[in-house]
Amino acid sequence: MISKAFKTVFKKEVMENIRDKRTMMSSVILGSFLGPVMALGLIYMSVQMGKDKAEKQLELPVVNMQFAQNLEKHLISQDVKIINLEKSPEAAIKDKDHDVVLAIDKGFAASMSQAQPAKVMLYYDASAKGAANVSVRRVKALINAYSSQIGAMRLQLRGVSPGLMQVISIEEHDQATAQSKGAQLLMFLPYFLIMGLFMGSMYLAIDTTAGEKERKSLEPLFLNPVSRVQVLAGKLAATISFGLLTLVLTLIAFKLTLPFYPTKSLGMTLSLNLADVGLMLLVLLPLALLAGSIQTIIAAFSKSFKEAQTYVNLVIFIPLIPSMLLMFMPVKEKLWMIATPILSQNILINQLIRGETVEWFNVLVCICGTLFVGGLLAWFAVRLYNKENMLFAD
Amino acid sequence: MITAEHISKSFGDVQAVKDVSLVAEDGKITALLGANGAGKTTSMRMIYALITPETGVVTVDGINSTDNPVAARARMGVLPDARGLYLRLTALENMAYFGRLQGMSEADIKSRSEELVSRLGMEKFANRQTDGFSQGQRVKVAIARALLHDPQNILLDEPTNGLDVMSTRAIREFLREEKARGKCILFSSHVMQEVSAVCDEITVIDAGAVKAKGTEAELLRLSGQDNLEDAFVSLVTTSTLSGANP
Repeated sequence: MISKAFKTVFKKEVMENIRDKRTMMSSVILGSFLGPVMALGLIYMSVQMGKDKAEKQLELPVVNMQFAQNLEKHLISQDVKIINLEKSPEAAIKDKDHDVVLAIDKGFAASMSQAQPAKVMLYYDASAKGAANVSVRRVKALINAYSSQIGAMRLQLRGVSPGLMQVISIEEHDQATAQSKGAQLLMFLPYFLIMGLFMGSMYLAIDTTAGEKERKSLEPLFLNPVSRVQVLAGKLAATISFGLLTLVLTLIAFKLTLPFYPTKSLGMTLSLNLADVGLMLLVLLPLALLAGSIQTIIAAFSKSFKEAQTYVNLVIFIPLIPSMLLMFMPVKEKLWMIATPILSQNILINQLIRGETVEWFNVLVCICGTLFVGGLLAWFAVRLYNKENMLFAD
Repeated sequence: MITAEHISKSFGDVQAVKDVSLVAEDGKITALLGANGAGKTTSMRMIYALITPETGVVTVDGINSTDNPVAARARMGVLPDARGLYLRLTALENMAYFGRLQGMSEADIKSRSEELVSRLGMEKFANRQTDGFSQGQRVKVAIARALLHDPQNILLDEPTNGLDVMSTRAIREFLREEKARGKCILFSSHVMQEVSAVCDEITVIDAGAVKAKGTEAELLRLSGQDNLEDAFVSLVTTSTLSGANP
């Protein structure tokens, strides 16, 4: 099967690409480091922002604090810094001056003394980004705590046990391990690993097909007494090998950045030894065949290098879909999911990150499933140029 | 020797080539003469087995190129309309790449490369990457690359298009040498002086169909003109002649 023509084309494409230093830098080196570094940066930022809001002294703008002096004392005792508001509460939230504004109803004191529910108003924007919600939750918790504290006192004064109010008590047993908590943040890590793979093979997929067509060297190439399938197979093999190279570098970069993940400050562990990284490599390897073949097919259909670049760039977002799905719907994996390329890599890598045992059967299904789809695409890709109208750019 | 019998090709509704027949014999330079868009490149592409004719047969040294395109291509060296070189490879590497795809041994590639570099006058740029080559340098590399395996049949699509006098002369001289070695040379051109200068046999093609065939002298007699350019104009504008000499 491995013919001289295949080897000749493969060697030439690899050598030509290595000579193009700028492309090597941007696709292979950048592709392999971008993913892990971006993942690290994103996680670090989200952790840091959440931590700041949760630990910092809460600054709470309150309107009409004078109507609720006991509540004021309670808040101050809980280390809340009460500040005055110049604007209306609505404007303060709209202008993003504050995450949350508390307003005391004029009848607060009167309701309080008559043992009626006293009213306070909470202004916030539920659609605001992550860290703002932390402030809202903290204010709600503070007021609820104050409310039940006073409620309990009222019952006791009337000789009633406050326990009567609590019909059911929930005792929480959170089974999340320290490692699985960390994994929530790392849900999208598989995407960053897969992205590198796609970036590594992207350039060669375009250059060996649409690029060669545009530079008008495809016609002379096909005039040699070798089958077009062999020539395309050599090109595809070169494309895939650069995807593989980038994948290996990505995993090395990932392993190197691992100690920098802010695991301690979140009280989680993220321990991936070399065997785990090796297993990641094993399940990701067959994906190189699929990535290279898809990219080659798309590039081969394009009329010019630029057109191919536009479409092939979009392909990088395909592996994002399963990552997103898994982030929002944590479903129990089923056999068809393990057999679906990209989705299966996402599931298995997530299992590894969460510190769960990965079953060898699933690894086998994942590899076979990906190789099957990748093989089909490759079979199609190497036959594309057997069609005459694919040969010419004009 | 190359023969094409009644070959046709259409793209969509456009019939690019209609029933073209021609013979290119060994030891002769045969020209396919026609204006731009006359169907020269499409005819050549069918003859060198890149695309399949809808009707008719092409044989190369007796090999049917539709049935056995790989074997037919091994008998041919082709300079197609598209001369694309690999810009990050040197001239010699471009040649060696095609030599390997032709199945040549490394020793043959080396000796034949040296021969062609000296015959085409490529010494100065043979070891340079082809990015930034002049038109003449590019065509020389493309010819050397196409003929590295020393094929019996040489096909060239507008070989001297856009070249300066010196390059044109070098290539004409090279083709005459190959002819003297008994090679079959078929080339397409729209340049009358070119055809007049090197060709033994001329096939005039217009609107995808053959209008006339013969030596230059025969074409002049047929059209009653005294130079090839006038003869050509007369042949392609007088439709009755196409019937007179199919």
